[in-house]
Amino acid sequence: MTTASVRQRSPAPDHAGSGAAKSAAPLVRHLSWQTRLKRDRSLLLMVSPTIVLLVVFCYVPMLGNIIAWQDYSPYVGFVHSPFVGWDAFVRVFNNPAFVHAVVNTLTITTFQLVFFFPIPIALALLLNSVVTPRLRTLVQSIVYLPHFFSWVLVVTLFQQIFGGAGLISQTVRQNGGSGFDLMTNPSTFLLLITGQSVWKEAGWGIIIFLAAIATVSPELYEAAAMDGAGKWRRMWHITLPAIRPVVILLLILQLGNMLSVGFEQLILQRDSVGPGVSEVIDTYVYFQGVVAGDWSFATAAGLLKGAISLVLVLGANKLAHMLGESGIYQKA
Amino acid sequence: MNTTTPLGRIRDHTVTRRSFLWMVAGGAAVIGVPSLLTGCGSAAPAPVAAGGGDIASLLPSYIPIEFAKPDYPSVNGTTPGYVTLPEKLVRSVPKPPGSGAAFTVMTPLWGTIPQTDGNQYYAGVNKILGSEIKFQITDGNTYGDKLATVLASQKDVPDWVCVPGWNLPKRFGAEIVDHVFEDLTPFLAGDKVKAYPNLANIPTSAWKASVFNGKLFGLPMPGDIAGGNPTFYRANLLDKMGITPDVKSADDLLALVLELTDAKAGHWGCGDLWLTACQMFAVPGNWKLDDKGKLVSRTETEEYRQALAWTTKLFASGAVHPDEIAKNGDSKGRFQGGQLLVANQGWGAWGEALSDLRGGDPEYSQLPLPIFSAVKGDKPVLSKGAPASIFSFLKKNDDKAVIKEMLALANVIAAPFGTTEFDLIQNGIEGVHFTKGDKGVRIPTPLAAKELQPTYVFLVDGPTANAKVQFPGFVKAESEYLADASKYLVEEVFYGMQISEPPRYASLKLPFDDLEKAIVRGRKSLKDLDEAVTTWKSSGGEELRKFYQDILDKK
Repeated sequence: MTTASVRQRSPAPDHAGSGAAKSAAPLVRHLSWQTRLKRDRSLLLMVSPTIVLLVVFCYVPMLGNIIAWQDYSPYVGFVHSPFVGWDAFVRVFNNPAFVHAVVNTLTITTFQLVFFFPIPIALALLLNSVVTPRLRTLVQSIVYLPHFFSWVLVVTLFQQIFGGAGLISQTVRQNGGSGFDLMTNPSTFLLLITGQSVWKEAGWGIIIFLAAIATVSPELYEAAAMDGAGKWRRMWHITLPAIRPVVILLLILQLGNMLSVGFEQLILQRDSVGPGVSEVIDTYVYFQGVVAGDWSFATAAGLLKGAISLVLVLGANKLAHMLGESGIYQKA
Repeated sequence: MNTTTPLGRIRDHTVTRRSFLWMVAGGAAVIGVPSLLTGCGSAAPAPVAAGGGDIASLLPSYIPIEFAKPDYPSVNGTTPGYVTLPEKLVRSVPKPPGSGAAFTVMTPLWGTIPQTDGNQYYAGVNKILGSEIKFQITDGNTYGDKLATVLASQKDVPDWVCVPGWNLPKRFGAEIVDHVFEDLTPFLAGDKVKAYPNLANIPTSAWKASVFNGKLFGLPMPGDIAGGNPTFYRANLLDKMGITPDVKSADDLLALVLELTDAKAGHWGCGDLWLTACQMFAVPGNWKLDDKGKLVSRTETEEYRQALAWTTKLFASGAVHPDEIAKNGDSKGRFQGGQLLVANQGWGAWGEALSDLRGGDPEYSQLPLPIFSAVKGDKPVLSKGAPASIFSFLKKNDDKAVIKEMLALANVIAAPFGTTEFDLIQNGIEGVHFTKGDKGVRIPTPLAAKELQPTYVFLVDGPTANAKVQFPGFVKAESEYLADASKYLVEEVFYGMQISEPPRYASLKLPFDDLEKAIVRGRKSLKDLDEAVTTWKSSGGEELRKFYQDILDKK
C-alpha cells in the first residue's frame, strides 16, 4: 500500500494544475499518508490485535524454520547450533520412508476429498428440505454432536463396535458365526478412517453450507415453482448454483490442508494396522523429530509439506479463476 | 524405599514396557550426546560411558542401616519382604532439616493427580521436612513430552526434577545434564554422604546407575533386579475353571492360553506376550557377545527371530484378545476384569492390583508363572534389571547451602521401612489417612484415596522393600517368586552403564519397533526383518557397533 501511494504521489506536482479535472477515485489516492491514517484509524485499530497475533504466533515462529539448515539441539539453541546447509533436505529426499509417507498422505487425502467432501453438501441439502423446524433442529444437534468427541473416544467407540471383541463381532459369534475384526485390517483401513471422519465431522461441516443455502432468496424458488419447476429442478437450478462459490472456496481451503490428514486419528490406530498404510507426513515428522530427536530433519520435512500445500492452494485458486469463480482471493 | 506401588503403575503402561525393554531390561541406559561430527566448536564433549571405568571414587560410601528385620530376606539382591510392622517405628531424622524455604518439584504420577492446595498429606510430610516441597505433578504416561519441553528451556526448570530412565530426552548426556543440573559428586562422594545417613543406606549399584557423564548427578529410586515383567495369570478365575497352570516351555504356554480362550463367552487366553517371549527365548536387551567375542545387536540375534516366530504363532492362534491386537484401550483393565487371563505385567502391578481390587473383590488373585525357558529342560535366563531406573536431579544453584538443604530433605524422604518417616510418606497421617487395624495394619480412610498418592518416592527412595503387611500371603508369594527368579539372573554386556549414544543413531531402531508389531500380527514376515537388519547395518548400525565395541574395549 505504502509503495503504491508513494509511486502515485511522486508525479503529483506535474499534474497539480489538471487535478480538478480528475475523477474522484484517483483523487483518493492522492490523499497523504497521514490523512489516510487519520481517516482509517478506527479500522486499523480494530484490525491491529489480529495483526499482532498473526505476527507473534505465525510469522515470528516461522523464523524457527532456520533449524532445517542446522544440526539443531534445543539445549544448545539456534545461536550455537552449527549450520549444515541442505543436509537435512538431502536426507529427507533420499529417505524412502518419507516418500512412502507422502504417498500415503496423498492417497488418504484424495480418497477423502472424493468420498468425504460431498457428504456435508448432500446433508445440508437434505436438511434444508426438512420442513418441520423442530425436527430439523433435532437432526442438526445429533449430527453436530460427534464433532465434540475427541479422537481417542471416537477410535475407542469404533473399536467397541467393529473390533474383534466388539458388539457386532460378539453378536455374530453368539449366533454361531465366526467373528471379524475391522479395526486391524490394513486393506480396509482407508474406508475405516474415512468412515470415522464422516461420522465425526460431516455434521459439523454442514453449518457453512446451510448458511449459504439460507441466503438464497425465497422469491427465486417461488418464481421457479410458478414456472412449474419441481423439487429437483429447483435444487439443481437454484440452490446448487447459489452455493457454488462457497463450495469452491471450501474446496480450495481443503486442498491447502490436504497434506494434514488427522494426526491423532492415525497415530492412535498406527499400531493396529501398521505404518504401511497409516504413516502420513505428520506422524512421520513426529517420530523423526520428537521421538528420535532429529529436529532438523523433521523441520525440513515439515517445510517441504508447507511448500507443497502452498502450491496446491495457489494452483486451486488459479483453477477457480479459470472456471470463473472468485476463489479465496483475487488480484486487485 | 518403595513398596511396590509406583513401579507397578509405571511398568503397566505399554509404552513404558517397550522402553524398558530397550533401555532398562538390559540394565544399560542410553543417553544422547551431540553428534561428534558437528560437535567441533561447540562445548560438546565426547561420549562418555559412565558406569564403566573408574567411577568408584564418585560413589557415596554404603553404610547400611536396618530398622526392621525382613521376614523374607533378600536373595541375591532381590527385594526383602515384611509381613509385620515393627513394634515401634523409629524416627530416623529427629529434627526437620529444612530452613522453611519452598522448592518447586516436578514428578510423574501413574494415578489420579491429587489436589496439592490444602492437602493434609503434603502438609504433614512438609512438616517433618521443615521446608515446603511444591509439587508439579504430571501424568506419567505423557511425562516424557512435558519433560523434553521443560528441559529445553532452562529458566522453566523446577528446583528438583524427576527423570525416569525411559524418558531421558535424546542428547540428555552432555547437553542437558551439565547445563541444567548440579553435580552432586562434591556433596556425596565417599564419606561425604555420612552427613545423610538414609542416602548412605542406598545400595552402591543404584548410585552407580545415577552417574552421568562421569559425574554423580542423580538421586536414585532403586528398583528390583529380578522383578522384571513376569507372566501373570488370574489365579482365582483359573481355579474356578479347574485349571492349574504347569508351564515349562513355550509350547506349554501356547497350549494353556488356547485352553483358556472362549471368545463366545467373551474371554480370551492372553494379552500381548511379547515380553514373555523375549524372556523365554533370552533375547538380549540391546547387545550380546557372540562366541567369538563380537558384539551382536539384539535384532540380529537368533533369539530375537525365535521370539518373533513364537509370538506370531501366538497371535495367529486366536488366543490373544482382539483389542490387544489392535492395541486399543486399557490392557490392565482387561486382565483385571477377566477378559483375558494371562498377561505380561511389571512385577509391581501385582501388589498394586491387590490394593486396588481386594476391597471390592476379596477373592481377586493374580499369580506369576515361575520363570521358565522356551525349551523344556533348558536353564531359563532372566536379564538382570537396572538397580535404579528413575532418578531425580537438582537444578544448578550457586548457593551451595541450598543444594545441601535439598539433600537433607532427600535424606528424610529416603528413610527406609521401619521409620516414622517411611510410614508417613507411605500411609499418611494416623486418624486422617488411615486407622490402625489388627497388629497395627494401616487401613486407609476414604480421604487417603483422594489426597495420598506416591510422589515423594520419585525424588529419592531407600532400598526396595515389599512392605504390604496388609497382604501377608502376597508378601510371601512375591518373595518366593523373586528368590526363584534370582537364580536365573544374567548381567548383560553393558549392565549398569549409562551410555551416551550419539543422536544420529537415535532413529536407527525406530523401524524395528514397528516391524516387531507388524511381524507378530502377520502383516510382515521374517524376510522383512532380514531387509531391515541390512538397512540398519548400512545406515549406521555398523558404526554404532564400533561405538559400543570401543566402550567394551575400554571396560
